[in-house]
Parts: sequence; C-alpha cells; structure tokens
Amino acid sequence: MSKYNILIIDDEKIVCDMMKLSLEQEEGYEVESFLNGAAALERLKEKKFDMVVTDFKMKGIDGLEVLRTVKQLYPKTAVIMITAFANLDVAIEALREDVHDFFPKPIKIKDLKESIRRALP
Amino acid sequence: MTTPDNASSIIKTLGDSTTKWLRNRFAKKRPLGEIYRYFKKVLESNNHALELITDMGQKLDGSYIFDINYIKRIYPELADTLRTSIDLFNRLTRDNYAIEPAFAHIDSLISEMIYGEGTAGDDSILFLDDVQWFRAREVGGKSFHLSELKNNLRLNIPDTFVLTTRAYDEFLQYNGLKEIMLPAQGDEARQPNAEAVQDAIMAGSFPPHLEEQLDNILQTMQSRHGSKATLAVRSSAEEEDDLFSFAGQFETILNVPIVKQDVIRACKKVYASLFDANALAYQARLDYAFGSLRMAIGCVLQIDPVASGVIYTANPVNGNVDEILINATWGLGTSVVDGTIEVDNYVVERGKSLRIRESKVGSKEYMNVLDSAQPGRIREIPTPDDKKNLPCLSPALVLELAAKASDIEKYFRTPQDIEWALDAAGSIFLLQSRPLKIVSPQVKADLPRYARDADSAHRPFLFKKPGIVVQKGIAAGNVYVLHRIDELNDFPKGAILVAHSDSPHFIRIMPFVAAIITDTGSVTSHMASVCREFGIPTIVNTGDATKILQHGGEITLKADESGEITIVNGLDNSILKSKQQHIRKMEELYEYRRQKYILRHIAPLNLVNPLADEFTPAKCRTLHDILRFIHEKSVQELIAISQNGLFGKPSLLRLDLDVPAGIHVLDIGGGLPAKIKPPLTADDIASLPFKALLKGMTWKGAWNTQAVALNVKDFMGSVGRFSVLASGASGFAENNIAVISKEYINLHMSLGYHFNLVDSYCSEKAANNHIYFRFVGGATDIVKRSRRIKLIDKILVEFGFNINIKGDLLIARLSHVAQEEIIETLTMVGRLIAYARQMDAVLRDESDVELYAGRFLEGNFEFVE
Repeated sequence: MSKYNILIIDDEKIVCDMMKLSLEQEEGYEVESFLNGAAALERLKEKKFDMVVTDFKMKGIDGLEVLRTVKQLYPKTAVIMITAFANLDVAIEALREDVHDFFPKPIKIKDLKESIRRALP
Repeated sequence: MTTPDNASSIIKTLGDSTTKWLRNRFAKKRPLGEIYRYFKKVLESNNHALELITDMGQKLDGSYIFDINYIKRIYPELADTLRTSIDLFNRLTRDNYAIEPAFAHIDSLISEMIYGEGTAGDDSILFLDDVQWFRAREVGGKSFHLSELKNNLRLNIPDTFVLTTRAYDEFLQYNGLKEIMLPAQGDEARQPNAEAVQDAIMAGSFPPHLEEQLDNILQTMQSRHGSKATLAVRSSAEEEDDLFSFAGQFETILNVPIVKQDVIRACKKVYASLFDANALAYQARLDYAFGSLRMAIGCVLQIDPVASGVIYTANPVNGNVDEILINATWGLGTSVVDGTIEVDNYVVERGKSLRIRESKVGSKEYMNVLDSAQPGRIREIPTPDDKKNLPCLSPALVLELAAKASDIEKYFRTPQDIEWALDAAGSIFLLQSRPLKIVSPQVKADLPRYARDADSAHRPFLFKKPGIVVQKGIAAGNVYVLHRIDELNDFPKGAILVAHSDSPHFIRIMPFVAAIITDTGSVTSHMASVCREFGIPTIVNTGDATKILQHGGEITLKADESGEITIVNGLDNSILKSKQQHIRKMEELYEYRRQKYILRHIAPLNLVNPLADEFTPAKCRTLHDILRFIHEKSVQELIAISQNGLFGKPSLLRLDLDVPAGIHVLDIGGGLPAKIKPPLTADDIASLPFKALLKGMTWKGAWNTQAVALNVKDFMGSVGRFSVLASGASGFAENNIAVISKEYINLHMSLGYHFNLVDSYCSEKAANNHIYFRFVGGATDIVKRSRRIKLIDKILVEFGFNINIKGDLLIARLSHVAQEEIIETLTMVGRLIAYARQMDAVLRDESDVELYAGRFLEGNFEFVE
C-alpha cells in the first residue's frame, strides 16, 4: 500500500522541518514542504496530495488562498490551517471554506498527528 | 602605603556603605502592612514569571512545533514580569541588592540571541581564568568546558588561552573572506568552493591589532613556562562538544612552538579545517549553512605525557551509568582517539565506593610522542618491549581518574567523555570534557521484530576477535572493503563499510552508510562518538573483518546492547528495506537548537543554596536564578525588618517545630495569641488553617527521614549545580514565611529544590473558603519530577481538587467547601508536603506512582527499600 502524502506550506523553515521530521519519521507519511504559497500551488497543479497543512499568514499567496485552491482542485483533500495567534476571524473564514482543522502556534505535535489521522481516508 | 588617591577612595567607600547603613537603619519605619504588600506582590510577580518559564520549557521540549515568533511574543512578557519583580524587590529592600545589572546582562544575552541586539563580547583573546559563564559561545564548547573545570571545579588544566570567535570574525573580515564564502549569485544552490576558501585562509594574515595582542600573550606564556614550552592548538567551534561532539572533525596541532608565526599558522590550519570535506558533511548534517559555523581556538600548554587516554563516565553501548570506562596508552593520547592500536582498558564500578572490576592490558605496539627534534611534529615510535604489555596505570591512578571523572560528571550532570594526560611528575591533567552519547535504555524495545528473527539459515561469520559494539543496530548491504581513505569517494550508498582501523574521515559517508565494521578500534575513538551521534550500527576490534568479509559480498549484521554480534552471509530484504534511513532528531535542526539555547539563559536554576558563597546577584546565570535570588532575599528582608528590635518588638517569629521546615510566622490578625512565651511552637498557633496544615506536616511518619540516595542518574539533566556539589544534599536550612490570621494562611515554602505554596481561607462561610496549592521543581530530572507531580495529582484528585499541570508545575484549587472540610483537607495537604519532599528520587517508574499514592492514602508513609 502506498503511503499517504502530505503537503506543508509555511514561510518559517523551522516549522516545515519540524513538521516534516515528525510526520515522516514518526508517522510514515510522505511529506513535501514549501516556504511560500506560490511554489506550493504550482506543485498542487502537478500532484494531488492527501492532506495539506498551511500557514495562514504568508507573503504573497496566503493560507486562505491555498485553501480555496486546494478545495477547487481536489475537494476531498483535507486542509489544516496554522497561525501565529488564535485569530477568531481567520478561523471563521477558514471554516466557511471547509477547513478540516485549525491550530495556533506553537502546535502540539501529538494533536496535529491526531487531527491528520482523523482526516485521512 | 596609603596614598591620597586611595585614601579618598576608602573614605568614599566607607561613606557609601555607612550612608546606606544609616539610611536603612534610621529610615522612617514603614508599616508592616505596606512591607507585606510589597512582599506579596514580589511573590505574585515571581510566580507569574515562573509560569511563563515553565510554559516556554514545555513548548521548546520537542513536543511542540514552534518558530521564533513564539519566543518573540512571550519573551517581552517574561522580561517585563522580571522588571516588575525587580522594581518591587528594590522597593521592599530599599535598593539593598544590585540585582538590576545581573538581569540587564542576562536580558542582553537573550535579546542578542532573539533579535541580534545586545552587547556581544569584545575580547579577541582570553586566558582560561578570565572565561566567565556567559562567554560559552565566544570561546566555543571545548574551551568553555575546560574553563568550567578549571574555574569552578579547580581541576588541573594546562595553562590555556583562547582566541575567541570574535578573533575568527576579525580574521575573516580583515582578509575579505566572508565574500568568497557566499554562494555564486544566481546559483544559490551551489556551494562555494571549499578548497578555495581553505587556500584563502592559509594565505590570509592576522589583523595587526590581533597579532600584537597574540604577541603579548605569547610573551606571557614564555615567561611562565620557558622558551622550550610548546602549545597544543585545538579547535573549539561554537557548538563543539555541546549537543553534538564534532569529534575528530577539526584540526588539532600538537607541539607548536610559542612563536607568533608558528601559532598563527597553526590557527589558520584550524580555521581551514572548518572547510574539510568531512567537517562540511558533518555541519550539513546538523543543518549549518556553508561558512556559518564560527571557530574559536584553545591554545593549551603542551603536556609531554607519560601516558594518556580517555574516560567514559558511563558505558555508551548499554547505557549503564554505574560503570566508568578508562582507556590508557603510553605517550600521547592520539592513538586512543584514532582507534589505531590496542590500548589498556579498565572498568571501574560505582557503588558505595569505586572499585576496579576489570583491567585489560593492551599490546600497545606503537606510541605517539612529541618530536623534540622538530617542534610542531609528533612521532609514532614502536613501544619499547619492556613497556608494551605493562599497564599504563597503577590501580591507585585508575581510581583517582575515576574519582575526578565522577566529580566532572556530577558537575555537568550528564555522562562525560574526558581526555586526560599523566606527566612525568605523576600529575594528572584534564584536557577535555564533553557530553557522552549513551544509548537510551528504552531503545531496546524498538528493534524491529523481523530483525530479531533474522533467517538463521544464513551462514554466520567468525572473526579472530569477538569485536566490540560501538553502536547497536541492524543493517544489511554489500560489503565495501576500504584500503585507502580516498576510496571513500567511490563508496556506494547503502553499503557496509569494512576497514582496518576507524577514522573520523568516515563522517563523509555517514548519511548513506548502512554499518561500519573495523579490524581495530575502541569505543572511545572519535569515529565511535560520531557513529553513536548518528546511530550508525558499528562494530570495532574484530581483528580480521577486512580479510574475512568479501568485497562486494552481501551480509546482514546485528549488534545489540549486550555486546552480542551476529554477522551472516546473505541479505534479508526486509531488514535492508527498514534500516537504510537514519532517524533524524530534532536536535539536528539548527534553528531548533538555536531556540533551545535561548532557554539556557532562562530556565536552569543554579542558585539553590542560600547559605552558599555564590548566592549573589553576580552568580545569577539565568532568569530563574534572578527569581530565586529575589524570592530568598525578600523573605530574609521581611524577617530582618520585622525582627529589628530598634523600632519595636519583633513581629516575625521563628516557629519551633519537630521537623526542619524553617518557618517564620507573620501574624496579621488573630493568628497568634497576644502573649507568647518563646519559643513559638505549633501549640501556640491560633490560625485555624495554619494549625491544620502544621498538624499534617508534623504527622507521625509523614516527614520521612529515611535517607534517599540521590545518585548521579537523579541529578542528570537537573536544574541545580553548584550547591549540589557544595552540600552533597538538598536539605538546606530554609527561610520560609507563613503569613497568618485567625482564618487565613499564606505559606511560601522552599524545601531544597522544590517550592510549595499554600494559600487558604477557612471561615464559617463555605462560600468564602478556598485552598490554593502550588508545587514546582525538584532536584532530579524532568521525568522523575513529572512522576512526583503525577503522584500529587492522584492524591489531590481524591480530595476534589481542580488541577492544572504544566511540566513539573502543579496548581490545585478547591473552593466553596465547609470549614471542617477545609481543615481536614489542609491536614492532608500538610502530610503531602512532608511526604512528597523526596518522592522524585523514590519513584523509580510509573507503577511506583500508583503504589505510593495508594500507600499515602492508606496512611502508610514509609519508602519501600
């Protein structure tokens, strides 16, 4: 059986690296990461992912735009949104766009893993 | 002789202190209520700061994903809380303690790490004696550890000066080297040419001011040690010997004459070694961008040793911390860390006293010595026949080395890898101490099951010698027999390296080597350290693996922590598939480490014993130390103010108890009878909640006086440092304050390394009543401290408390209950305070939490032997 693949987008390298390390080694997923929304959207046009984890606030294309694009291209792919602060407005907006889950940073790795497990088919 | 100048200085000094004393002595007496309000506010502010520190510690412990924005958000709040604490503390103590400069210094170090602002060190060269605790990064890990051994443990370290990372920056700047380290524009992915960088370093010159400073230092060294003395010029990169060892990655040049041009040339070689292919591979593995690691250099007076070697204060393979391993050889220790000859091995067992359990004398065919004819060189010579099989160390020296190593381990609170040398006069010198990577015991269960059941039909290989497991693990792949180092260039990914002797050069292939097997070698070599860091299964000292194993042949290998080795012919595909990737650790991410280092200036607690000489603002290394200092001195201030008979009768009274709780009582209304005949005892207390609490604390058997051995394991990773060594125990005489009224108690109680806070109101109206209980800290590691928190949690839950836990901080609340229930519960809390004192050291595993919680609830307070 092939592994689930996950796309991570965050403009902080440490966030991408820590998430990749946890999800690849401890959960056995295949993970690709990008430091900006534009490059990630290019990749999304080429490849379908089972899950997308994206930062909300990024220069250029932000997390909401990533979310909308994912839902347009692959309606069944779940998206998790992360932000630096617990921001209610962002959360409501993201929920309207059918976000699967919403995490303020710092993110408890255990909670993120559980959320991903719940979302995967 | 007293000159006019120093006389005026003395008068001024006397004047300052006298004025201060008079101001304090005859200052307008402040109402006790006002003083207490300040005191309470100081403690509230401190508690808030401690909660923020606990939160940071939890978020940065590897279980959360974070970025620098989290620290940028939370640190200003923490710093502001500290400022509030300091401001209130200064008001309380009338500026009696110079705590602000200590805070400003630590804050500046932290700000520099977070924002790149602050006052970085401005010394290019320092003698080891002048290296203070906050210069760790400037002098590099290796030199910093030596400075700690010398300045704090007073151990015998050869005279040393350090060229700091600032000197390195100046050298790069002066020679325009920073530019050539940048990637080519438009081709950022391509690494700059490392060899060109090395050539430019070797062709570079020291800036004139640095050269002049070095000249002066060398003259001092010559005047101290004579013109024939030489130096060992050793790398000391920023993170070297810290979370990762960088063992054998950089140059060490021995026997360098104390002549400016020779020393400069040696230093440039060390700088250039940052850009060796092996060292770059290691840095890349640790997430360093090309050229971003900075180098300091330790210039250590060269010892001409009779014998040298390495000490491991734990067995790195099976994780046994009760064993100390010592290797020794004649002459210089280079052959020990190169793993090229068979050296002497000693195993010392720790128990009530140290005992030599094993002595194995090696053949020591060769030895390395300083070349007296050619300064700057060392020579390998055949060991004289009469010395070959002679042990290098007498039993007394083995035990002396083991004792010193034990002290060093206690100081650093983690197993150590120590280099030592013995000179002709019989003096032992310590040359290096760094953390030793040991196998974590729980890894055993993680071995894949299919690997344990490896196909027994495969033919096992037998070697001349049994072999030594350096790093356990399972691997399968094609054998690659190495004859020359340059053949590493052709090493195929996923193969098993088989070589005659081990070498730090092997780091180049570590990202893709499946395992390493060598004919010679020891567990204490540089390569062995690196293999453990990166979890590469490694077996050394097989005697003849290069002859037995066929180049290109397929094998499967299994090495376990008990030292058992199985190498069989043929491949097991399932093993090959599972073992090819290395498990990367969070610590290998540069940014992760950087943010963890920030925490080092915040969370550890070094200032524990208020009676120790080093309990001063100047000895505060962390924000936690500042808080500890403020807390203790606030309590002392309250005691001093209220006991000062000049302005009236003492209002703070020491409570005489059967248990050493060190409590002083401040009555704010009806907590004590109007007239008391000293000494104040528990029977005199009229405060309902305090009486109940004391009843519990002095409950028969609850304040257990059974000796609980805090062994080295307990202190590893712990928070305290100096005072542990000074006292050998945590039972300091404390000053604790209980503020009471008829219906109220507020008790802040520090017991050794942990803190209790009880705040309770106990009136006839249940709606007004509450108990607030807070417990934090401990001497042992976080696992054990957390276990104690679980125990307290289990007990308090039984009594209906609402509980919050963060790491080793527990906050429990109970409110709106009747007076009788408050009294009964406070009695239980008193018993728990007494019972939990040493519980972190007593609880050996999770099942003990259940056991001891159950015993407590049954009223049985004894520890199981």
